[in-house]
This record gives sequence, C-alpha cells and structure tokens, in this order.
Amino acid sequence: MLVDFELIKRAQAGDSAAFNEVVLAYRKRTLGTIARLISRPEDVEDVAQEVFLRLYFSLDQLRTAEVFEPWLYRLTVNAAYDYLRKHRRRMESRMSDLSEQQVMLADAVAGGRVDHEVRQQRQVRETVDALLSAVSEADRILLTLKEVEGLSLKELEKIYRVNENALKVRLFRARQRVLKALGEAGDESRGKGTAKAEI
Amino acid sequence: MSNYRNNRGDANAELNTLFQAYRAACPETEPSANFMPEIWRRIEDRQRSMFFLGRWARAFVTAAAVLSLGMAAYLYIPKGHNTIISVESYVEAIAAGHAVDSAEFIDPSLDEL
Repeated sequence: MLVDFELIKRAQAGDSAAFNEVVLAYRKRTLGTIARLISRPEDVEDVAQEVFLRLYFSLDQLRTAEVFEPWLYRLTVNAAYDYLRKHRRRMESRMSDLSEQQVMLADAVAGGRVDHEVRQQRQVRETVDALLSAVSEADRILLTLKEVEGLSLKELEKIYRVNENALKVRLFRARQRVLKALGEAGDESRGKGTAKAEI
Repeated sequence: MSNYRNNRGDANAELNTLFQAYRAACPETEPSANFMPEIWRRIEDRQRSMFFLGRWARAFVTAAAVLSLGMAAYLYIPKGHNTIISVESYVEAIAAGHAVDSAEFIDPSLDEL
C-alpha cells in the first residue's frame, strides 16, 4: 500500500485533502499501468484522470480500505477497456497519428542520432504492441496485467472477481492467441527474407 | 512431436522474454503540471451536472405527482349528470324524447284519409 488505511477512510468520508493525497500517491503508478495497457501516450493522462474521477464518485462503495488497491486496479482496467473499445487501435502508425515524442523519436532514428539501445527498446515496444493488437481488448489487458505489470493470480482474482482456475484458463487462451500471432509474424518475416534472398 | 513441443517451448520462452523486455522498454510516464487541477475541474463539472440533473429529476417527479393527483381527482369525483336519479319509466322517457309524435300534435283530419 502506498498510503495508510486512515487516509483512504478520510477520503471516503469526503475529505478533499485526503483524496488529493491518495491521487498524488497513486497517479504515477496508474499512469504507468495505463500507458502499458493502451499504448497511446497522448491519451494516457486523460484515461488516468477518468480513473480518478470514477474513484472519487465510487469511493463510498468501497467496503474496506484493505481492498483499495485491487479496487483502483479494477477501475483502471475498466477505464482502459472502455478507451480501447472506443478507439479501436489501428495496426499502422501514421505520422499524423503519433505523439510529439514519437515524432521526435522517429525523426531522430531517421537521422541516425539515437543509439542502439533506444532503437532496440522502440522495436520491442512496437513488436509487443503489434502482437497485443492482434488479440481482443480483454486478452490484451489480462496479459499486460499478468505478464508486464507482474500481478499475481491472487491479485488478479480480486480485480476480476473470478476464481483462480477460470483465470488460468483465460490466461492460457489469451497466451495461445498471442503465440499464434507471434508464429504468424515469424512466418511472415521468414517469407519476406526468402523472397529477398531469391531476388 | 518432440520437435513440436520444443517449438512451443521456444515460442513461450520468446514471449516471456518479449514481455520482460517490453516492461523495461516502456518509459516512465510523468504527470503534467495540469494533472491535478484537471481532475478537480472534471469532478466539479460532474458534480454540477449531477446537481442540475437532480433538480430536473425532482421537478419532473413533482410535476408527475401533481398530474397524477389531478387525474385521480378527475376520475373519482362524481360527475353532475350521474347524480340525477331518474324516476321516469322507459315509456315516459321515449315519449319525452319524441315529443313531435305525441297524440295532440297529430292532425285529426289525416285519420279520415
């Protein structure tokens, strides 16, 4: 827990200063989670604000302060899911669609000013984003929480409110779909390689 | 078969490595200076719209209640013509309704024809 239970109880009772402190404590973590869930840097802050807005108006429904973190994760997942449903991710990235940071990065890469590590990181992000866009929003969110955020099955149980076995099945299926997409991407790149070699 | 398993195992390991690398490759997202003020602005906007919605809903409920009471009163208060207790017989009522056909207005000369 990043804050003590007392602060959450005060926020629940309508103390604005306490709510402010809760947001300040959790905003960075929430922004990071949303960034990994939606992969569109320009909209991360907007979705995070929506999460805290929902938190403000639903705090009174929180039964105990002990379950605050899974509750916040749940709100984050729901907001990310709503966002992804509204803005179906496009497979291709157009320059007009990129954030300022991404445009600068793309320019720098083109100019050869970015070192090898940065280029590699960008490649990893693009690869995983492409793989995750090949599966449904629900699979994407579940896999990101488990494999990237590193949440345990117990934590996921509290967020999704389903038992461990059901979660394991969902995770297995989601993973299979991503593996299939990975296999297809591998076949495609090998095909291109062969075609190039023939030319 | 074992080749297939090896391939699946390799793909799983590759996916795990990719996810780990992805976590490391995602940059830290720093909140902008406008983050907190914007949250409070949105909270106040929502509260304002909820307040107006609440007022509108209360006004609607009041109007609906008044209308219902009015309709109930209209339906249950006895109407004026229902209170007249008729003492006429059926024949008297028919005769009253067809006053032109009564005997005193029939021309006696017509009987002779």
